[in-house]
Amino acid sequence: MRFGPVLAAPQQWLRASAAAWAEKRQGPDALGVTLDKRRIYILPSRFGFAFGFTIFAMLLGALNYGSSLGFALTFLLAGLGIVIMRHCHYNLRGTRIRFLAAHPVFASEPAEFRFALSNDASSPRYEIILSHNGKESKPEDIPAGQTRVFSLALPTRKRGLLKLGRYQVTTRFPGNLFRAWSWLHMDASCIVYPHPAPRGRPLPNEAGGEGLHGGLERGDADFIGLATAAPGDPPRRIAWKAFARSDELMVKQFAAGEQQARILTWDSLPGLDTEQRLSQLTRWCLEAGERDMAIGLQLPNRAVPVGRGQKHLNECLCALALYEDPAQ
Amino acid sequence: MTAAALRTPADTPDRLLWTAGIAAGATLPHWPALPIWVPGLLCLSIAWRLGGAVFGWPLPKTIARIVLAIAAFGAVLIQYQTINGLAAGTALLIVMVALKYLESRTARDQLVLIIIAYFLLFASLLVDRGFLMVLYLLGFVWFTTVGLLQLGRHGPLLGNLDMVKQAGRLLVQALPIMLILFLLFPRLPGPLWGIPGANMSGQSGLDDSMSPGDITELGLSDAVAFRVDFYNRTPGPTQLYWRGPVLSVFNGRTWSTDGPGMRPGMTELVEYSGEPIEYRVMLEPHGRRWVFALDMPEQWTDGRDIRMENHYQLVRTRRPIRSLFDYEVTSYPAYRTLDTLNERLRGYYTRLPADGNPETRALGEQWRAQTDNPDEIISRALDIFRQEQFFYTLTPPPLGANPADDFLFRTREGFCEHYASAFTVLMRAAGIPARVVTGYQGGELNPLGEYYIIYQSNAHAWTEVWLEGEGWVRVDPTAAVAPDRISLGSSQLSSAQAREGALANIPWLRQAVLAWDAAHTYWNAFVIGYGPELQRALLEALGISRPHWTKLVTLAAGAVLLLSALLTLYLSWSYRRTRARDRSAALFRDFVRKLERASVAPRATGEGPLDFGARAAAALPESAEDIDTITRTYVRLRYEPDDGRTALATLRRLVRAFKPAAAA
Repeated sequence: MRFGPVLAAPQQWLRASAAAWAEKRQGPDALGVTLDKRRIYILPSRFGFAFGFTIFAMLLGALNYGSSLGFALTFLLAGLGIVIMRHCHYNLRGTRIRFLAAHPVFASEPAEFRFALSNDASSPRYEIILSHNGKESKPEDIPAGQTRVFSLALPTRKRGLLKLGRYQVTTRFPGNLFRAWSWLHMDASCIVYPHPAPRGRPLPNEAGGEGLHGGLERGDADFIGLATAAPGDPPRRIAWKAFARSDELMVKQFAAGEQQARILTWDSLPGLDTEQRLSQLTRWCLEAGERDMAIGLQLPNRAVPVGRGQKHLNECLCALALYEDPAQ
Repeated sequence: MTAAALRTPADTPDRLLWTAGIAAGATLPHWPALPIWVPGLLCLSIAWRLGGAVFGWPLPKTIARIVLAIAAFGAVLIQYQTINGLAAGTALLIVMVALKYLESRTARDQLVLIIIAYFLLFASLLVDRGFLMVLYLLGFVWFTTVGLLQLGRHGPLLGNLDMVKQAGRLLVQALPIMLILFLLFPRLPGPLWGIPGANMSGQSGLDDSMSPGDITELGLSDAVAFRVDFYNRTPGPTQLYWRGPVLSVFNGRTWSTDGPGMRPGMTELVEYSGEPIEYRVMLEPHGRRWVFALDMPEQWTDGRDIRMENHYQLVRTRRPIRSLFDYEVTSYPAYRTLDTLNERLRGYYTRLPADGNPETRALGEQWRAQTDNPDEIISRALDIFRQEQFFYTLTPPPLGANPADDFLFRTREGFCEHYASAFTVLMRAAGIPARVVTGYQGGELNPLGEYYIIYQSNAHAWTEVWLEGEGWVRVDPTAAVAPDRISLGSSQLSSAQAREGALANIPWLRQAVLAWDAAHTYWNAFVIGYGPELQRALLEALGISRPHWTKLVTLAAGAVLLLSALLTLYLSWSYRRTRARDRSAALFRDFVRKLERASVAPRATGEGPLDFGARAAAALPESAEDIDTITRTYVRLRYEPDDGRTALATLRRLVRAFKPAAAA
């Protein structure tokens, strides 16, 4: 055992080793967990320590003055502390927590992990807090028999798969004397797309190198008819008027130069490093999406076939987010 | 991370009002004892801070607050000359509350105030142990606990009524733990260290000196001196002499004690006879060492450092009586003291100042010349009081430079001190060793509690003369003038005399007062008076005799663990799974089944209630409105609080009444 980290920051070291111990003890969690007594920990808060110290001072005072009523109040407050400890524990115990989703974000945007916390009990649960790495969510009350959605916003710095890692469900209610918490280790993650490069570099055409020309703007496209809508079609192309008449979702079809698919290739961006290339490809994908163009993606070790629509765009962005440099 | 959340500003008016209520209520019991500026400062700072929060008044800057703090602490120091001790410490804490309140901004400030509030409530319990005060404090502990729940939150405050109930539940659940610890926690017979500044002089009706000529109006206090529970028999009124300080030194005007001289084995100087009287005394704290007992005590509670000093008075040796003090005594009203006076002591007990009270001295010397029989002299003196025009009054005229002369030959109006003093001077002048004994005489039976109350107004003074072969003999000259004073006890007499038309003469009110006193006495005897003796008695009743303190602590800890386990059971039950969710889901399933029977395509797995509702409404346009209402009620029930379960009842009603229209 090395003593360096212990001496440098004993509190953090203690916290980290306690958490590691808990993780080993509890094992990994499913995406839905009910907090049982095995996994709820409780310690006095700082205020709780101050409260305890006051009770001790009162005890000395009562002893010294031989004051029976002094003893009574001292023991009443001590009893209150014990009772509050149990209540604090039960405020957490039995809460059901389910990981809902974490929608993909671009690097440097916060990744929002959303959870549903359900209170199946007949008493309300007060002041429930989620925290991750020391950052706490806003405390929320969950009334009896209800569910509340909580979210944890994690900072993102680089593209890839952001693992949620360890997080806590905490409460200090009632009275802030104790902190009861549970460590959770769910296998949840959020896809982080590369940070899009600034606008400016024009999309390559098939021939490569040349930018897009006018005439492809939305207003200029020729409407050629309706087709049955499929999931992933951009909402702005849905024929709402037709929907009102026929009860069937249709999308407008346009005849435009967009019918020509573009392949965005790795090699079209010479002179940039891997991350810069990914950023630029991300920007192009977004721009193509804005214009509803069909695109394909050609990466050194992966290709995304030509397609269009939100779903396809997500697929492209995922490929960029999870791209692994074959050289490494 | 706790600290960060506590440091964020939380000075909404509702939080500040809570803190103001706690600051005012917790300090209120101390207000009468404080110099006026302390509560003034507190009120001012509360008003200022609230004004700042509600009307946006400018609050003092840091520098101003520091100056104010230094000034206030300085003022406390000047006022009390110390910051040690209960009174000064309390004043200091309250000044701190005022200053803390003025700068209270964060949740942490507010929580600090709650801790100080609990401590101030504790401090007032050390001073005032009255029943009403305890009720007030209990109520206020509740209030402060509500404040703890509310101000300990980071979110917006919850409903006050809900939190009042919640705090009440917490306190009720804490009560058994309190009771166990109260009964079992080892009690120590004495303080851990000296109690600074606890000055209780002026509480007692007695003093260690008396100057009858100086008092023109005896303030009769209805304060209770002590209460007595007679075990075997009740002595007659003429036997109820409770011995207090004995005054042997006379300077012509004032009688004073010669200080208690300790002499072991005093009881061996007494020849006891007749029936003993066994009783328990619950003595109110009086700040002195005197322990009152009926003449003549033979034995008393062990281990309470009570000794008999050389005037047969019981005293507590180690420290004054500053808290309710209870003890048991066995006394014999029939006794004879065996002490002999040598020449030096005879001189001591017959000493009078050479000048002063010449007429009295002359009368005494004249009697001594006429007879050698001390009994003869005593009866002559008492005859003067009986046969001549002497009056018993609580508002005597002032006496001049020779108080005994003035009283005996001129004013002839006075109360016990006048008679005892003049009589003793007369005895000494006649060569009979004599001294003044002060104490209490009489007592009032409280029929509701079957015990006697001895008030400060029962304070009395009488004379003891020393007779060859008989020892010290009590002579009460007041009885010669006002026999009622002795046989009725002074309460009836004094209330009639001192408080004409006083409420105390109304019988039912007197009854109420006595009932109140009975409750108070039991409270005093068993709650306030719960100390090492009662604890030992309780444990012996439980079959544990003289346990080591570690055993007590283990016992208490075990009991608390047991209670904690019971609490866990209760909490498991109280947080049991609710069925409300399941019930609403079941109702919605009924609804879906009805629709499916009415030829709506079956609900797909994972099809949300709103989607299904929209589909069903499209399929059955005539029932569309009903379907929509039911679906929305169900969804609201799943995702919003259902206060009082009205939404569930609505859903049930709607689903039962729902009849889908025939498919189009």
